[in-house]
Amino acid sequence: MSRYIATRAIRGANAIVAEAEALLQKAIADKGADHPVAFPNTAYYLPVMYGMLAAEVTTLGQMEPILEHAKSLLHPLPDEKFWVPYLGETLDSGMSTILAAEAIEAIRFIYGEQPEPYPGIELTGVTDYSNFGGNGSGPPTDGHLNGPIDDIQLRSWGIQLVDGRMPGFAAIIGAAHSNEAAVAIVRELQSRSILTFLTGNVNGRSIIDQLVEEGVEMGFDTYIIPFGRDTLSAIYPVGFATRAALTFGGMKGGQWRDILLYNKFRVFAFALALGEVDDLKYAAAAGVLSYGFPVIADTVIPEILPTGVTQYEHVISMPWNEIEGATEEEKAAKLVQKCIEVRGLKIKVSEVPVPVPYGSAFEGEVVRKNDMRIESGGKHSRAFEYLFMDKMEEVEDGKIELIGPTFEDVEDKGSMDLGIIVKVAGRKMEKDFEPVLERQIHYFINGASGIQHIGQRDIAWIRISTAAADKGFNLNHFGDILYARFHEDFGSIVDKVEITLITEPDLHAEWLQKARDAYEERNVRLGSMTDESVDDFYSCTLCQSFAPDHVCIVSPERLGLCGAYNWLDCKASFQINPTGPNQPIRKATQIDEVKGYFEGVNEFAVQASHGVVSEVAMYSIMENPMTACGCFECIAMLVPEANGVMIVSREDTSMTPTGMTFSTLAGMAGGGLQTPGVMGHGKFYILSPKFMSADGGFKRVVWMSSILKEQMAEQLKVVAEREGDPDLINKIADETICTDVEGLLTHMTEKSHPTLEMDSMF
Amino acid sequence: MTVEIPKEKWSGQVREVTIGATAEDGGTRTQTLTIGGETTLPFLHFEGSIPHRPALAIEIRDRKPDDWSPILLETWGEAMESPAAWAKAAEEAGADLIYLVLSLTTADGEENTPENARRVVREVLDATGLPLAVAGPGQADVDNELIVPVAEEAEGERILLGICEEGNYRTIVAAALANNHLVQSKTPMDVNLSKQLVILISDMGIPLERIVMDPTTGALGYGIEYGYSVMERLRLAALQGDSMTQQPMLVDPGAEAWKVKESKVGEGVPESWGDWQNRALEWEALTASSLVQSGADLLVLRHPDTLKRVKAMIDALLATTA
Repeated sequence: MSRYIATRAIRGANAIVAEAEALLQKAIADKGADHPVAFPNTAYYLPVMYGMLAAEVTTLGQMEPILEHAKSLLHPLPDEKFWVPYLGETLDSGMSTILAAEAIEAIRFIYGEQPEPYPGIELTGVTDYSNFGGNGSGPPTDGHLNGPIDDIQLRSWGIQLVDGRMPGFAAIIGAAHSNEAAVAIVRELQSRSILTFLTGNVNGRSIIDQLVEEGVEMGFDTYIIPFGRDTLSAIYPVGFATRAALTFGGMKGGQWRDILLYNKFRVFAFALALGEVDDLKYAAAAGVLSYGFPVIADTVIPEILPTGVTQYEHVISMPWNEIEGATEEEKAAKLVQKCIEVRGLKIKVSEVPVPVPYGSAFEGEVVRKNDMRIESGGKHSRAFEYLFMDKMEEVEDGKIELIGPTFEDVEDKGSMDLGIIVKVAGRKMEKDFEPVLERQIHYFINGASGIQHIGQRDIAWIRISTAAADKGFNLNHFGDILYARFHEDFGSIVDKVEITLITEPDLHAEWLQKARDAYEERNVRLGSMTDESVDDFYSCTLCQSFAPDHVCIVSPERLGLCGAYNWLDCKASFQINPTGPNQPIRKATQIDEVKGYFEGVNEFAVQASHGVVSEVAMYSIMENPMTACGCFECIAMLVPEANGVMIVSREDTSMTPTGMTFSTLAGMAGGGLQTPGVMGHGKFYILSPKFMSADGGFKRVVWMSSILKEQMAEQLKVVAEREGDPDLINKIADETICTDVEGLLTHMTEKSHPTLEMDSMF
Repeated sequence: MTVEIPKEKWSGQVREVTIGATAEDGGTRTQTLTIGGETTLPFLHFEGSIPHRPALAIEIRDRKPDDWSPILLETWGEAMESPAAWAKAAEEAGADLIYLVLSLTTADGEENTPENARRVVREVLDATGLPLAVAGPGQADVDNELIVPVAEEAEGERILLGICEEGNYRTIVAAALANNHLVQSKTPMDVNLSKQLVILISDMGIPLERIVMDPTTGALGYGIEYGYSVMERLRLAALQGDSMTQQPMLVDPGAEAWKVKESKVGEGVPESWGDWQNRALEWEALTASSLVQSGADLLVLRHPDTLKRVKAMIDALLATTA
């Protein structure tokens, strides 16, 4: 907490509370203590007083105890010499400021000074004061600013704020650097559907004046609401926030803590201080902070960067003169972007802006050579895609750039090199999520009609059909697709997305190398991730819809049995969808290191299997093996005569040495039942050092579908080396060698399979 | 010989949910409907308490539907020409709640409007004292456009707003929050999805006492066993104490049963299928009565005679187990 800010906020609060007291005494003397006070067309009395203090204020006299309370929150200025904590004092001052401000505005209604007269102004949609004569002189007849937002409008906007259509609201205090800047800032907010509240002035000049001069339409219909030209009118956005919590959070007056937290976590608002910040503005800003709303200033002020009362930074200074940008529009865009970052607003891109139909229905579409306009990847060119995270300030959200030629000059059915670079940043983004997000590029691009995408990393292969090209589809549209989809599907971890498409040969080569280095680094990272190196495994209960008692336990060294979810996928999925099927499972105490019993895993299994499974051995097929739904890529099964296991691939339809085919075996392995000696699992689990390690590991494999041997030839070689038997793969039979036990035993003896010498499995 | 009846001791209880508000609570309903509260499986009175009997609602539309079976058109007759008359007829038929579904278009093919939705809801509220549920046509953007004004129009009445689905629930929940109504959550026959949507909806701040859960069902012969088993598992989980499955369940056997061939088609079917009218009613009644057995707390029906049959069954079961 900045001592400077504390000092000025406390000073501002002292002044305004004194002013409120004087005004209240004058009003009571003029009108009597029983004179009614109210904000017209709103429920909840004077909302901040009601929300914070459960005070049902309807008369002038009832405000006296409120101001007494405000006074009790005042503190002496921080000492010049002795540094003590003053966050509490500053927030107290903020609260007393908004209580005093609310009192003053309420009294001004009595004197006809609120809503603030503004001769000549015409608002499109405004709070209606025509039936308001109760306690004041009625609204000015030749134009006025809005004053408090009426309840009907509160509900209408509240619903949009709550359901996310409106990302949040901005309370602007002061006046912009220039009229052009004022317009640019407001337009920028408007283009992002952010509700904009205008208050305050700098040396008598308000952003409201600036927008009036520039002919900007204001009012409910344009989502730009002028509240008042002085700082005190900032009480209306604060009241709006309080009423939102009372209306939509189901809170009652006096639940001040709940109301403030509701705003912190659910109402995405921020204050934007334009121009010089005086004591009163600091004091008002301190009040706003209590609601969890950060303050961003376009002048030089001390910053408060640690998080706490607000979700991220508290106070940010972004001096207008120092913002990079050739035009006021560019500067405004950067300023607003910063506000969005600091408040953690989530931007929704509702439609994918491409000239061809888009949807998951087009994902499987094939573009044949004859229908093709151009391709990248395959035999004649190279395509690669690379997603990486960077610092917030290094990523320009929404920037899509093509470096190099388009495909216009490439002959029909020709090919060209393409690199797709996606740079992302996000508060919750982690380096480990890079590959998870990168793999989505395949699905996202495939969703466009007339586009085919195969593969990933540097073996990506993309075709654009003639039909799509004729409709105007160009390379930049890949950027549009990725921008929209990453925000839509991964908005909870990704705040900013920038896409660069590279066709320029030298740069392509340079980035391809960078990408390959990164792929390699990721492979090493994945390889080095062990079950011991993490605290949490993840559950997957996605399949409980048809296997109600089955739960997959996914660990770094054991991917989901369907092969579709590894540990990182589950981790990312949990970030994106915290109530979804992938929940973290704290390993807790390891009960048995060899068999892989963990206290936390057992507890989770009991609960998620509804009591059916009480223990899971992560690394054994013989004792409490993990259950399976039915989606397994492979089935491992004990062949007792061979003292080992066979592994059948889903893609293998032939007979196996156990006398059963895959489909017959599937009935035994699936359905969420623990059957010792039978286990459904993912293909890549075979390569894991933890593959039934309690029972002897990979050396126990005596028979394996030939398709697995082919698909994973290289990796299996490495596994054989690791197991200390480089020739192991040749010792393992497959369906081309034998499909019965006799044949299997003959083969094993011939090749002297290691398991013949090993302990009995059961 | 004495027979010892085995009893299960459950730790959980289904939540009680009350739809509708009388004048005392700021509404204009003459009666409210409370469902849920069970501490045991359906009709096992010897084991636990079942404070409220399964309730039966009648579905009405904001206008005469184009695609309903002639059997239904004939039964409701003139009443279908006005939602108010239809609601009154449904009340007379013995419904515990009126389930009003707004159509995508008006009778002359124009898009339905918020004004029209408001008007219809007002008419229905004025015509009957029964508690009310209102659902949109089932198209996210139109649902939201229509349900928000409906929620405003019915402020104070504690109506049940439909239908919150995984992809579209925020607006409807917000409308319920703003106007003190209840919401219906609906998920496609999956225990975990059901649970997850209840969590997501309650995360928005609406109390669990204002959520009714629709696990979705199929008609007899068209997936009812799947729906039945999902409901059974939801209820078992609820009784075992899994909080997010403890919402009372609403299902819509009416809509399901009346869209299958057996109830829709009168001609060109095997003679052994028997009398069309009777067959159609049996189909809806059997679908509904199976769902009552799987734990449904509120069933939406279309034909008044079905309602009588299901009611008779519930009466009889309550009488024998009382």
